[in-house]
Amino acid sequence: MWASIAWRLFWRELRRGELWVIAFALFLAVGSVVSLSGITQGVKSALMQRSAQFIAADKVLRSSQPFDTAVIELAQQNNLATAQQMQFDSMLFAGDSMQLATIKAVSGGYPLRGELLLRASADVNSGEYASLAPGSVYVEERLFNLMGIAPGDQIEIGMLSLTVNGVIANEPDAPLSVFGGAPRVLMHLDDVEATQIVQPGSRIGYRYLFAGAASDLANFEAQMTPQLTAHQRWQDMDRESAIGSALERAERFLLLAGLLGIVLAACAAAVAAGRYSQRHTQSVAVIKALGATTMQIRLIYGSHLFLVVLFSLFCGAIAGQLTIEAAQWGITQFLSDYRAEFNWRPLWLGILTCVICALLFAARPMWRLSQTAAIDVLKQPTINLGLDKLQLVSGAVAIWGLMWLFSGEFVLSVGLFALCGLFALLLLGSASLLVRLAKPVAAGQSSARRLALANLRRRLWANSFQLITFSLAIFLALLLYFLRAELIGQWQQQIPAGAPNQFLVNITEQQRSDLNQFATQHALQLDSYYPVVRGRLMSINDEQLQQEATKEDRSQQRVGVGRELNLTWLSELPANNQITAGNWFDRDSTAQVSVEAELAERLALKLGDSVVFSVGGEPIMAQVSSIRKVDWNSLQPNFYMILSPDLLADFPATYITAFYLDAERNQLLNQLARLMPTVTVISVDTIIKQVNDIIEQVTVALSFILVIICLAAGLVLVAQVQATLEQREQELAILRTLGAQYAFLRNALILEFALLGAMAGLFATILAELMLVIVQQRVFNLPFQPHYTLWWLGPVLGVVAVTLLGWWQLKRLLRMPGAQLMRKVLQG
Amino acid sequence: MKIPEVHIKAVNLAKSVKVTDGSLTILHDISLTINRAETVAIVGASGSGKSTLLSLLAGLDVPTAGEVHLAGHKLHTLSEDQRAAIRARDVGFVFQSFLLLPSLTALENVTLPAELAGDKQAKQRGLELLQQVGLAERAHFYPAQLSGGEQQRVAIARAFITRPAVLFADEPSANLDAATGRKIEDLLFSLNAGQGTTLVLVTHNDELAGRCQRQYRMQAGRFVTAKEEMAHVG
Repeated sequence: MWASIAWRLFWRELRRGELWVIAFALFLAVGSVVSLSGITQGVKSALMQRSAQFIAADKVLRSSQPFDTAVIELAQQNNLATAQQMQFDSMLFAGDSMQLATIKAVSGGYPLRGELLLRASADVNSGEYASLAPGSVYVEERLFNLMGIAPGDQIEIGMLSLTVNGVIANEPDAPLSVFGGAPRVLMHLDDVEATQIVQPGSRIGYRYLFAGAASDLANFEAQMTPQLTAHQRWQDMDRESAIGSALERAERFLLLAGLLGIVLAACAAAVAAGRYSQRHTQSVAVIKALGATTMQIRLIYGSHLFLVVLFSLFCGAIAGQLTIEAAQWGITQFLSDYRAEFNWRPLWLGILTCVICALLFAARPMWRLSQTAAIDVLKQPTINLGLDKLQLVSGAVAIWGLMWLFSGEFVLSVGLFALCGLFALLLLGSASLLVRLAKPVAAGQSSARRLALANLRRRLWANSFQLITFSLAIFLALLLYFLRAELIGQWQQQIPAGAPNQFLVNITEQQRSDLNQFATQHALQLDSYYPVVRGRLMSINDEQLQQEATKEDRSQQRVGVGRELNLTWLSELPANNQITAGNWFDRDSTAQVSVEAELAERLALKLGDSVVFSVGGEPIMAQVSSIRKVDWNSLQPNFYMILSPDLLADFPATYITAFYLDAERNQLLNQLARLMPTVTVISVDTIIKQVNDIIEQVTVALSFILVIICLAAGLVLVAQVQATLEQREQELAILRTLGAQYAFLRNALILEFALLGAMAGLFATILAELMLVIVQQRVFNLPFQPHYTLWWLGPVLGVVAVTLLGWWQLKRLLRMPGAQLMRKVLQG
Repeated sequence: MKIPEVHIKAVNLAKSVKVTDGSLTILHDISLTINRAETVAIVGASGSGKSTLLSLLAGLDVPTAGEVHLAGHKLHTLSEDQRAAIRARDVGFVFQSFLLLPSLTALENVTLPAELAGDKQAKQRGLELLQQVGLAERAHFYPAQLSGGEQQRVAIARAFITRPAVLFADEPSANLDAATGRKIEDLLFSLNAGQGTTLVLVTHNDELAGRCQRQYRMQAGRFVTAKEEMAHVG
C-alpha cells in the first residue's frame, strides 16, 4: 500500500512544483557533468585528431625492418585504414648538380590524416594543385635553388630517373625539429624498388600508418603491442609535436572546469534536498501520528528520491547529449574534418555523479525526514536552514569523491578539497565575527538598514551554507575567467609575435660576415649564433657503444645514439634549459659535458661518467657534469649534448642562427639561398600557424565552458534564494500586516542582498587569488603576480549578481497584497 | 451489572524536557483510568500540560516516568514503530489545525490511515465517511480549496476510517468560528456515539468539556479539582 501512497504523493508534489527544485538540481548535476565531460572529451578528441595530422595518421608504428604484411592485415581486420611510408637519406643527381636529400616514399592513401598539398610549380604559394603518382616526385622549395632545377626536370634517385612535378606546399608530418636537415623529396612507394637503394644494411625507416575509430585503434593496439619486435615501436605523438604541452594544459584545464561544474551542481542538489526535507517535516509527523512506521516513511520518501533521480538522469542525459552534439557541431566549424565519436564516459560519469549527489547530499535530509518524531505533529512547524553536521560531512565526502573521480588525480583532488575546507572554515569564522559586529552597527541605522542588518545577522547564522555557496559560485566564475586569461596568455607567450620563424643551419665561419651584412641590408634581426660540430658518441666509461642495428647478436653491448649528434659549446645555459642534476660550467670547467635528461636516461648516463665522442675522426673525452631538462616546444635551437667551451674550440664548426621574416618578404629566402647555397633555411611558419590555430580553438572551447559555469553558478544562487522563500513569505506577511510600506521592504531587501553579495564576493576573491597563486606556481611554474582587477571585480560581481537574482525572485512576493500573502502563508 | 472495561490507564506519569539550564517537568504524577466507550475531557489553560498528556496517552511520545496502558498495550515499554502499529490499528486523531496533507485530496487524506494499515476497502469506506460528514461532493478537492470547517470535517472522517478504539481530539474547534465549531463538535460526538469509540478530548473550553461524561482538570502539569482551580485563580 505504501507504493500507491508514495506514487500519489509524488505525482501531486510534481504538480505543486516543489519536487521540481530537487529534480532540477539533479538534472543540473547530470546535465552539466555529461555536457562538460562530453565537451572536454570532444575538444580533447578534436585536439587529438588535429595533432593526428602532425603524424598523418591516428597511430604510427615505426620499424627499422621491411614492411610485414601480417601487421597490415591485422590492422585491416580491425577495420583500420592503412598506409605505408619509407624514409631514407640519399644523394640526388640532376645533370652536374648533386645534393643529399631526405626521401620519403609513400603508398596510396597517404596521408590518412591531415592534408598533403602539392603544387605543379616551384613556388609553394602558386600553381595548380597536383597529386602524387608513380614516376614523379615533389620536392621541398629550397631544392629548386640548391640544385638549379625546375618543374619538369629529371632527377635521379639511385638507379631510377624521376620527373620533378612540383613543390611540396604542405606536408602534414614534416619534421618539426629545427635540425630538419637535408631538403625533402616525396616519391611514390611503388618506385622505391626500382631505385635499388634498399640493400641489406641500408638505414631506412619504415612507418605503418593507421587510422580509424578510437575503439578499433585501441583493440588493434592491444593486439599488436605484445607482438612488437625489438625493431618496432609506436610513435609517441606528444614528443613529436610542438603542441604536446598545449594539449596537456588544455586537458588539465578542461578537467578542472568540469570539476567546478560538479561542485556547483552538488551544492544545488544539497540545497534543494534540504528544502524538500524541511517542507515535508510536518506531513511526515502527521503520517507517523496516523500510524506509519519509520520504514514506511523511508519507502515513501525514498521512492520519491529514486523517481526524481531516475527522471533527472533521463532528462539530464538527453540535455547533456544535445549540448555535446551542439558543441561538436561547433568544433566542426573550426575543424572541417573533425569526426565526432560517441563516448560512454560522459554518460556513466553523469550517472555516477547523480547517484553520488543523491546518496551523499540528498539522502541525508531524507533520512532526517524519516526520523521526524510523531510528537512533532503537536508542535508548531519551524523553518530551520541551519547546517546538519552529518550532511556537511557526507556532502564533503561526496565533493571530494567527485573531484577525485573527475580529475583522476588523487593529489589534485585532496589539495583542492583541503583548500575548499579551509575556505568554508574561513567563511564560518568571518560570519561569526560579522554577527558580533552587525548588532552595534545596526543600532544607529535607519529602520530599513536596521531590518536588513537584523535579517542578515539572523540568516548569517542560520544560513552559513547559503553564504558559502554564494561565495563558491562567484569564486568559480572568477577563477575560470582569470585562469582562462592566464592560460591563453601562457600559450601566446610560448610563441610571441615576432618570434624567429626562419632558421639558418650549416653557416660556415666565413659566411657569418656575409650573413650579417645581408641581415643589416634587409633590416633583419638575427638571433645569436650557435656553433655546431657533428660528432658521434663512441663510448661511455670506456665501454664501446653499439652504433647501429645489425644482424649480429650484440644484445650484451651498451646501446648508443645510433647517429651523429650536433655538438655545441656554450658558456651560458640557454634560457629554455633547466639543470636537474649537477652544475652548469663555470669559468674553470674543462673537458665537461651537459647531457639532455631524456637522452641521459636512455643511455643510463650519470653525473661523473666519462664519455668519448669521435669528431672528425678524433676522440674527444668529457665528463658528465650536469643533466638538463630541455623545453623541446620552445622553437629554439636545442642540443642533446653541450660541451664545455675548451673542448671543441679548435674544430671547424658551422653555425645556426634564426630571424623573423614577414610572410610578404618570403622572396628574401630565395635571394639568401642563391647567395649562400650551402646554407639550409628551415621555416617553422607552418608549425607556428598550426599551434596558433589550436590555441584559437581551445580559447573558444574555454569561453563556452565559462558560459556554462556562469549559468550553473546563477542557478545555484537561484536555488539558494528559493530555499529561503517560505521563511521570507512568513516574515513579509507579518511585516505587511504590521503596516510596512513597499519602499521600506524593497530597500531592506536590496540592502540585505547587496551586503550578502559583497561579503560573498570578497570571500570569493580571496579564494580565487589563493587558487590562482597555486596554479601559477604549481602548474605554470611562474612567480606570483597579484590580479588587481580581481579585487574590485569579485565584490562588484557579488553585489550585482546576488542583488539582481534576489530581487528578481522576490519582487513578486513584495508586490503581493498583504492579505493575499497572509492567506498563502496560512494555507502552507 | 457489567463491570466497565478499562481502556486507557496512566499510572504516576511524569514528563520532563531538557532546557538550557537543567530540565523542566511538564507533567507531575498523573494517574487516570478511562473505560471503553467513555468520553473524557482534559481541561486546562494554555501551557497546563494537557496536550503533553494527550501525546503520552496516544503513544506519540513516551513518559519520563510512570506507565501508560492503551487497549491492553504497555505503551511505555514499546518502541516508536511498535507504538506506530498500535496507533494505526487502534487510535484516531483530530487536531486543532486539521493537519491535512496539502498534496492529497479530501478523499485521499481520509483513506491515508487505512491505506497505511493495508486496508483494501479504504476508498469505499472513505467515500462513506465523507458522505457522513457531508462532503461527498468535495471528495476530490484539495485542502487549500476547502474552508476551515470543511477541512476539520475531512480530518474527522480521517480519524474514523480505521474504526479506532480510541479517538484523541486536540482542541478540535478552537480554530473555527463559534457556529462552525459547534457543528464540528456535534459531528464528532455523533460519529463517536455511533461507533462506540472511547473519546479523549483536550480543550480549554468548559462548554465543550461539559459534553463529555467525565472531566480531568489540569493546572501546571497536575490534575486539580474545579474548586482547587478556582482557589488558585482567586
